[in-house]
Amino acid sequence: MHIAVVVKQVPDLVEELEVDAAGTGLDRAWVKMKLNEFDDHALEQAVLLKEAGGAQVSVVALDGEGIDQVLYAAVARGADRALKVDAGTQEPLDSRRAATALAGAIRDLGPDLVLTGVQAADDLFGQMAPFLAAELGWPHVSVVSQVEVAGAAVRVQQEYAGGRMATLEVDLPAVIGVQAAPQPPRYVPVSRLRQAMASGALETATAGAGAGTGGAAVTQLAKPEAGRGAEMLTGSPDQVAEKIEALLRERGLLRG
Amino acid sequence: MTPTAIVLAVLLIATLAWAGYRFQRLLRPLFQAPREDRLDHVGQRLWGVVTNVGGHSRLLKNRYSGTLHLFIFSGFVILLTGIVQAFGQGLVPGFSLAPIGGNTWIALLQDLFDVIVMVGLAMAAYNRYVRKPERFRGSNEKDATIILALIFAVVFDMLLHNAFRVATGTDPSAPWRPVSSGLAALFGLVGIHGRSAELPAAIFYWTHVLAVLAFLAYIPTSKHLHIFVGIPNIFFRNLQPNGVLPAADLSQPSIGVKDVHQLGWKQMLDLYACTECGRCQAVCPAHAAGQPLSPKLLIMDLRDQLLDAEGIGGHRQAADGGSRELLGGRILDQTLWSCTTCRACMQVCPLHIEHVPKIVDMRRQLVEQGRMEPRLQDTLASLTQHGNSFNQSERMRARWTRELGFEVKDARKQAVDVLWFVGDFASYDPRVQPMTRALARILQRAGVDFGILYEAERNTGNDVRRVGEEGLYEMLAQHNLETLGKCSFQRIMTTDPHSLNALAQEYRTLGSTYPVIHYTRLLEELLTSGALKPERPLERVATYHDPCYLGRYNGGFDAPRQVLARLGLRVHEMGRCRENSFCCGAGGGRIWMDDTGVTERPSENRIREAVALGDADYFVVACPKDVVMYTAAVQSLGMEDRIQVKDVIELTEMALSLEPAAVA
Ligand code: SF4
Ligand code: SF4
Repeated sequence: MHIAVVVKQVPDLVEELEVDAAGTGLDRAWVKMKLNEFDDHALEQAVLLKEAGGAQVSVVALDGEGIDQVLYAAVARGADRALKVDAGTQEPLDSRRAATALAGAIRDLGPDLVLTGVQAADDLFGQMAPFLAAELGWPHVSVVSQVEVAGAAVRVQQEYAGGRMATLEVDLPAVIGVQAAPQPPRYVPVSRLRQAMASGALETATAGAGAGTGGAAVTQLAKPEAGRGAEMLTGSPDQVAEKIEALLRERGLLRG
Repeated sequence: MTPTAIVLAVLLIATLAWAGYRFQRLLRPLFQAPREDRLDHVGQRLWGVVTNVGGHSRLLKNRYSGTLHLFIFSGFVILLTGIVQAFGQGLVPGFSLAPIGGNTWIALLQDLFDVIVMVGLAMAAYNRYVRKPERFRGSNEKDATIILALIFAVVFDMLLHNAFRVATGTDPSAPWRPVSSGLAALFGLVGIHGRSAELPAAIFYWTHVLAVLAFLAYIPTSKHLHIFVGIPNIFFRNLQPNGVLPAADLSQPSIGVKDVHQLGWKQMLDLYACTECGRCQAVCPAHAAGQPLSPKLLIMDLRDQLLDAEGIGGHRQAADGGSRELLGGRILDQTLWSCTTCRACMQVCPLHIEHVPKIVDMRRQLVEQGRMEPRLQDTLASLTQHGNSFNQSERMRARWTRELGFEVKDARKQAVDVLWFVGDFASYDPRVQPMTRALARILQRAGVDFGILYEAERNTGNDVRRVGEEGLYEMLAQHNLETLGKCSFQRIMTTDPHSLNALAQEYRTLGSTYPVIHYTRLLEELLTSGALKPERPLERVATYHDPCYLGRYNGGFDAPRQVLARLGLRVHEMGRCRENSFCCGAGGGRIWMDDTGVTERPSENRIREAVALGDADYFVVACPKDVVMYTAAVQSLGMEDRIQVKDVIELTEMALSLEPAAVA
């Protein structure tokens, strides 16, 4: 079994985000990037599969500032190979473009299974996994919280609203959007990270022609306007409780 | 040779062979263990043996137990002459200690110390079976009883043997044996004297000899190994400064200890030296808090793990009922994570056993395997990413200066006299920031030329290292040392005792030579020189809590007390003060972990102690973490009207009448 994990970075929200001068993107000068949390879970899921039944894990990302660190951390976590795909730009691409840019390299890599995060701060609709599956022409399931190997297929747990779960079997090769690994992503000690960096085993690939095109263009980016201030309910606990009840009824949230 | 001599010789040789074999089995793993250099400063090492063994310096801190140990120990040394005599006589016809005083002063000492040892034994029995201090809980009771019984048999039989010999009327040392003579007189009253005393004398000779042999055979299977390994263990004790942890070799693919054989030889010797006395358990804040850690049981568990691994048979079951694993088996992860690295155990251990390095070494393995609770993991990730434990941006580090009303020098750009290493808590915690600003104002008022590192400062890694994340510690330390290397200053001052420990002690092993002081030392200087003059003496009663990393680790006991005195406060000490201070529970990374399993928080235990003094208005602390810990403790105990938690900084500001508004 060969598993490819597609990862990317998102802005770290410990810094305040600023819109750049053009008004179409983030001011990158101040933004710190970190690994997308869901991709972190996808990686953990891959490493768990490797530990459970033996698998080769390749981690794949588009080239960009700070990506080396992310790939080394993945190697320190248990990935066997790390592949950096050059799409001719250091700028982050939206999911549509990223999927076209990555598809060729992934096909060359020839994995049986592709795992990626179900969504990201800049892909709240979770389009990365479906776009990638469409590019590759493979089946796809998203919002998955557990992956097990079942012969030539994988059995996955897919989550629905209201906490309902479905168990699905997907033929391989397939693309899975991971919501959560069965256990939280494990800690990578700095010494491991340094050893991974010292081994320096990053591979590179170039995105094919026509890669990184299509998709939508951002015309304007703005901070949300501050809304009306919250209404503070005052009075004794009983009065406050009554007011809350009245409000809930008014909005039709209470029956009976 | 007489038949007696042959029997005795055979018994003696058999016992010695058995004991020798046992010792060889016990010591074998030490010779295959990782290296530890413990042969430097031989003079200092020997002197330590003299004071600790001869002077009982640590043992006597517990007056009752120390005294009884001194009785038994000194008796043992004296009665060794009696034992030599007994075996010598039996083996070599005509053997006698008479030429060196065997029939005169040695006989007198033997007689007296026979009694002294028995008094010691009675005290020990009373302590163990009647007083039953908590520290014995978990110790091997049966072993202790056997040992006490054997010692009793040795001395009692020796005394009776001597008494009956005196009764025979042929003992030349009789005039020098007052106790034996008294007993002999009693025997005489029931008609045993002259020839009729010979048989009982012979019987007690043999019971004495057999008791000695039984003792010799039993020791290498019991905790009383300390009779043999105690002295070497003290000799080979760690002479490094308290605040320096043994480093881990990061070039290795794996660091730390997950198998008992990875302990260094001295760490193994520690295991054999432990007497299960429980002094460490009695002072351990984690144990007092109901957590699954007792430093004594930890040492016993490691010893049993080693004995099991060597196939010599441990005495106790593993916590999980028989797994061969050390981590998560014999010693649970939660046990290791409970330690605050407060060092109280190491401070009291009469054998100088090193608990904390072992705990940290095992934690290193847990970290390597990612076995830690989520909050700790998030904190380490934050420290890796942002260099602070608050998961905040580096650029927010000096934000506290904004409300100060004056600019604090940037030590990276200008030369300063005092480089103030502010630390995470003082910089980021909104509950502590007012105090940080107060200290800035005090320094300003005193005309101190000081500066800070702004966003270039990183957590010093003191507690990161104690959590077992050695690589991250090195990364943080290197960053700080690089930054400091580009600055020009006379000395470093820290707010946090934990930063103090790293900068003053740990970084020295990385080549740093900067003079580093805690802010209490600087305040003391400023008050002494008159640069700061209290305008309204506080005239209240304060009790002072010694932070582990300022006091026990760095000897900073006096400066804070002198500051308080100069501010007009009377210090009413708690019982557990200075070296015996009781940890707040936050050290060693505990502040980044949650409190599950804690029945009484150490901080609450401490506040109760302070309130019980009866007259303390202030509970004074000198560590930013303490302000947070103890304020919470006072609140949760509902004791806000009984005692107030104050940092030395706040009190100084009060006495200087330096209200924030007056400056801003
Ligand atoms: S260092 Fe403190 S908390 Fe840790 S075992 Fe020793 S006494 Fe207990
Ligand atoms: S480690 Fe030291 S203090 Fe603790 S039980 Fe053993 S000998 Fe006593």
